[in-house]
Amino acid sequence: MGGSNRSVIYGWRSLRRLWPWLLVAFSLCIVRWSKGAVFLDTYAFLTRPFWPGTAQRDWIKNGTQLEQESRLRLLEADNQRLRAMLSLKSSSKAGLISAAVISRSPNGWWQQIVLGKGSTAGIAQGDAVLGPGGLIGIIQSVTPITARVRLLTAPGSRIGVWNPRTKRHGILLGIGTNRPVIRFLDKDSKDSKSLSGDLLSTSPASTILPPNLPVGLIQTLDEQAIPAPEGIVQLIAAPEAIDWVQIQKF
Amino acid sequence: MVRFQRRQAFIFCAFLVPFMTLAAPSWLTLSGIGPSWVVLWLLPWSLEYGPFSGALAGLYLGLVLDGISLDGATHIPVLIALGFWWGCIGRRGPLIDRSLILGLLALIGSVLVGLSLWVQIVFFQESALLNAFYMWGLRNMLAQAIITGLAAPVVCSWLLLLARRRRSSL
Repeated sequence: MGGSNRSVIYGWRSLRRLWPWLLVAFSLCIVRWSKGAVFLDTYAFLTRPFWPGTAQRDWIKNGTQLEQESRLRLLEADNQRLRAMLSLKSSSKAGLISAAVISRSPNGWWQQIVLGKGSTAGIAQGDAVLGPGGLIGIIQSVTPITARVRLLTAPGSRIGVWNPRTKRHGILLGIGTNRPVIRFLDKDSKDSKSLSGDLLSTSPASTILPPNLPVGLIQTLDEQAIPAPEGIVQLIAAPEAIDWVQIQKF
Repeated sequence: MVRFQRRQAFIFCAFLVPFMTLAAPSWLTLSGIGPSWVVLWLLPWSLEYGPFSGALAGLYLGLVLDGISLDGATHIPVLIALGFWWGCIGRRGPLIDRSLILGLLALIGSVLVGLSLWVQIVFFQESALLNAFYMWGLRNMLAQAIITGLAAPVVCSWLLLLARRRRSSL
């Protein structure tokens, strides 16, 4: 009797000695079951001050940007070479001249703006004037220190544009309102109809304007118009709010 | 001498017409359209100096405005006609310088200037025939006429006062 009591007491004492080890084993089981989450989180928390900072992230971003710019330059060079092979005129960013808008009347009888640079800065009649986003007009006349721009919205303004998606040519006509009119030169085929939202740009084969300049988006289109579809165009660059423009030599 | 100086001041104000037209201050616009500054100057000048001076001034200002505007329409015929007409009215009596009448004459003048430009653009520009008589022209004409009519009692009265001081000082 007394012996059995002694053995129970002994077992209880040995269990009290073992319980820390059982706890460790249980904890390790949890670690195993959670795929080491606690360890990883703790490691992350402890090493946070030593993580790669914003500088390294910027380096990577700069590297990516540099790579993209290099690719763009290579593609542009390739494009210029191919255009030269096809005897098409080309434009380059090197010919851009920045000028301030010193007078504007985009809503009156004359949709024109006057720029603070003229022939002494190299601007000539017929140069393309770009706002943020696309073409806004053509240089109509120059003085030594100013240049007058006929906006695309001005009555009598007409330039050739094309729809890069359907490869259809048209004429963009200024009618005095904020939105000029596109008149396509021929009917769209069944396979490739111009749609609202299509981008219009200057023709890639243009001999008057720099090629492939974005101009605007087709807002509405009347496909029943005779002899060819007509539409209203929303210009990408709004001349009402532009203080600086760029003139592209061509 | 004083008369000469007053006339010079009046003529100097004429030089402001193209500058104000170019500046087009945005705080003085109605629906984005400013007043017809040439009307605001030509009206008191013609009323004060008669039909021939008015017509001549209309010609000169028309030439200047055509120079600073795009091609396609001219201001000259309507400004000559307005200068002559206002000059004839000015010869009839002194009651013409009442503010309300000045505003009315300026409003009619601005409508005639707008109508002249509208007709020229519609009939002489091919693309204009696209959009049934250019409703934007009507909007331009009305907005400019209203803002010109509102500005005339202030501007024209001040210019007439400038000229009248000359007369009283003689």
